[in-house]
Amino acid sequence: MSTTSDSKSRLTVTPQGDALVLAGAIDETAGLHDLLARAQGGRLVLDLAGVTFINSLGVRDWIRMQAAAQQARLDVELRRVSEPLVHQLNMILAARGAARITSFFAPYACDACGREESLLVDTALYREQLSRIEPPPMACPECRSQMAFNDFPERYFSFVSGESV
Amino acid sequence: MGAPSILIVHPDRKTQRTVQRILGTTGYRVDIADDLEQGVRLLAHLEPVLVVVDGTLAARSLRALFDAAAARGTAACMTLLGAQAGAQVPALLDLGAVTNLLVHPMPVLGEELTVTTQKLIRGDLFGADKYLLWGTELHETTLVRSTQRTELVGELAERVRARGQSARVASMAMLVADELISNAVHNAPVDERGVHYRKELPRDRELPLDERHRVRLRWGCDARYLAIEVTDWFGTLDQHAILNALARSDVRQAGSGAGMGLALTYRSCDQLVFNLAAGARTEIIALIDVRYPPSERTAVSSYNVFVERARTP
Repeated sequence: MSTTSDSKSRLTVTPQGDALVLAGAIDETAGLHDLLARAQGGRLVLDLAGVTFINSLGVRDWIRMQAAAQQARLDVELRRVSEPLVHQLNMILAARGAARITSFFAPYACDACGREESLLVDTALYREQLSRIEPPPMACPECRSQMAFNDFPERYFSFVSGESV
Repeated sequence: MGAPSILIVHPDRKTQRTVQRILGTTGYRVDIADDLEQGVRLLAHLEPVLVVVDGTLAARSLRALFDAAAARGTAACMTLLGAQAGAQVPALLDLGAVTNLLVHPMPVLGEELTVTTQKLIRGDLFGADKYLLWGTELHETTLVRSTQRTELVGELAERVRARGQSARVASMAMLVADELISNAVHNAPVDERGVHYRKELPRDRELPLDERHRVRLRWGCDARYLAIEVTDWFGTLDQHAILNALARSDVRQAGSGAGMGLALTYRSCDQLVFNLAAGARTEIIALIDVRYPPSERTAVSSYNVFVERARTP
């Protein structure tokens, strides 16, 4: 089943397993507060791999949703957080709320073949590296060479390391 | 009155020489001072059109130099920061006087420095083409209704991706274009009493954009930079408001309030350029560095505020 929170919304919300899968744009039409009513057993799990865009009004909505979740004592888990959302989580401390982030995408580039790719990082698996703000090692999906991290680690990983850049 | 010149105030000899070579292309005489005191002393005898200064020098002393330069009729002061000196940016923004900040791996900063200098000296401010290689095509669209913003932003991302750019670049382009267009549609319009009459309107409400309210989007990519340029024809944004918006610390803490769009745009691109003609037009250009490996990129962004000088009849 696929539902949207509003007819104008450019964000789709689809239940899948224990998670709500969000896809599209988080902007002034997103209506994120409605997600809280869909929490199950005090847990709200959001799969964010499909979020392609978030603007300043979307960030405001996101912060309000996080604050309301905290007030309602909901356990919020963010899975497969996409790069546009990671940038906002890094830029705006309040956007992090009290959510647990279990995995997120990070930009890598291959020196050997030139491929650029957004790769999934498991926060539990790479906890040690992330706490040191070191990019986890990744192989190129095309040529299997070692890829290089394609951003500034101290900036990109600050939201999981607890550091403020 | 002496010959027009450029004054460099920087303690590092290698940077002095590099900057001197780059600015020598203007044809102006280039004078060099090792520190602020020497710079102020030289200003007593010079009338530089431009002063280029090391941004790591103490903020209070910088203000003294800026004041001395202004007293000698200097049109602009440009501040340079090395890539490792990003922590200095809030203090520089708090000065409220640094209109041109170039952050770059030092001492090489040829492209940005040349364009910024030429714009300041010539007074020819407008157009993203100045930042792109000769021959780069700029795509142009004029918004005639406000809700075109979402279509255009989506289309921009698709076309950027179709040119082989990464999802990272496309998502940055979307954010920047969305915020700048939104700003031009809702914040720029002002009536004769100075009221921003569209500022509080819901962003998803359809608004027709007539001749006066139209907003122009242009973008182009030369495989070094993706440039996104947005223009409104009110020209209400001023230097003070821009520096305040860029300096806002509560955006980092809470992401709240007016001006957040500009602050997020600044943090999402590599260089943000404001070209201002009061009462006539505001042009904002965001440059996203698309090179890999990103040797020229820094974790801190540059910004420039250019104000069109009144033309003498």
